[in-house]
Amino acid sequence: MKQIVSPGCTTGPFFPVDFSDGSEDLSQRNGLAAKGQHIILTGHVLELGGKPARNMVVEIWQADASGIFRHPLDPRQQDCDPGFWCWGRARTDADGVYRFTTIIPGAYEDRAPHINVAILGIGLTRPLVTNIFFDARADVVFECVPAELRSRLLAKPEGDGVYRFDVILRGENETPFFVE
Amino acid sequence: MMDDSTMKIDYAPYDDATQTLRQIDKYTPSATRVPSAPLIERPLTLSERTGPTELVSKWNVGKLDLCRLAPDSPRALGQLIHVTGRVTDEDGAPVSSVVMEIWQANASGKYIHELDDHRAPLDPNFTGQGRLVTDEDGRYEVFTVKPGAYPVLYSGWWWRPPHIHFSILGTSWMNRFITQIFFPGEVLNEKDLLLNGVPSRDVRDRLIFKPTDTVMGDLSYIGYQRDFVLRGHRQTPELP
Ligand SMILES: [Fe+3]
Repeated sequence: MKQIVSPGCTTGPFFPVDFSDGSEDLSQRNGLAAKGQHIILTGHVLELGGKPARNMVVEIWQADASGIFRHPLDPRQQDCDPGFWCWGRARTDADGVYRFTTIIPGAYEDRAPHINVAILGIGLTRPLVTNIFFDARADVVFECVPAELRSRLLAKPEGDGVYRFDVILRGENETPFFVE
Repeated sequence: MMDDSTMKIDYAPYDDATQTLRQIDKYTPSATRVPSAPLIERPLTLSERTGPTELVSKWNVGKLDLCRLAPDSPRALGQLIHVTGRVTDEDGAPVSSVVMEIWQANASGKYIHELDDHRAPLDPNFTGQGRLVTDEDGRYEVFTVKPGAYPVLYSGWWWRPPHIHFSILGTSWMNRFITQIFFPGEVLNEKDLLLNGVPSRDVRDRLIFKPTDTVMGDLSYIGYQRDFVLRGHRQTPELP
């Protein structure tokens, strides 16, 4: 019998700090360093009026440098980089800044390199999800976004391996989000 | 969830009638944080159909008891409760081996969190947070104390009724799940902005624990139960 999906709700303001600590670095696992180009992925989470959204939880999910997910659905799962966590979680600080240490994911099939990102926290009764891309090459999800908004989903290289991606929850230059 | 049937899981869009509203009147942070533009539809690729099933190995996940620091330590203040339930998909199939994160206020309504400014005492015997993993039947259980109500200080009027926060990592990016579960019969439930941010009584009931047994023995406690249904159902096989 078909069951009704449970209603979700916001994390509220008191998501334990410990639950984020130690998950901002995806680039080493079981004593091994991840393969691929190591990067710092950082940016602000901002609310209406450009104000920093403090204490938000940012989660990411991405393929390894070869475009493989550590998940039973991925036919290449066995070859997933043992030095890479495909998942990470960070928390925004008092300035609304989050920061991950990760790698640029590989492309596969119909997908360009991209990182899934979810924003959770006070004010959001459901997670907000989007994708971060590294360039504007063909991608079945990128192309669902109206052309004039696509640049908002591009991480901006700042040199020294730092990529900036600001999340604007609402207001001017609002980040395009997907149906979750 | 790692058998062949999981490989054909489909995700229908959420039915808004069964979910909490995105924008809730008087819940002011939703007015400044929920996007104004409509959410964009996209195809579901491998990237969305996979997710962090690997996390059991990342964290020290075991039996969960929030109300003492060690098996022979004194218990936290408050009413000892035992919370149990089952996590399934929309077919009622168990969602096993997924990580569940739980956090809550102590009996006096205080969280262990740097941003909790409520002037209530911490309890040295209460951990207030932890992780567990669902068993092969999708079941979970945790000993804790009934949380206290607490004021939402910025609001000037709103007290949160007792509730426990749950986060389930799920089996894919599509069924990541976070909620709050409330206690039956609480006066504050009537005015809570979040609990009442769901459209119907039926839906609200699924955010409230069911009382189960009271248990008397070496350990005496009150039982509460709450099942969770994560999104995802098996695709109907095509007829030959
Ligand atoms: Fe709370």
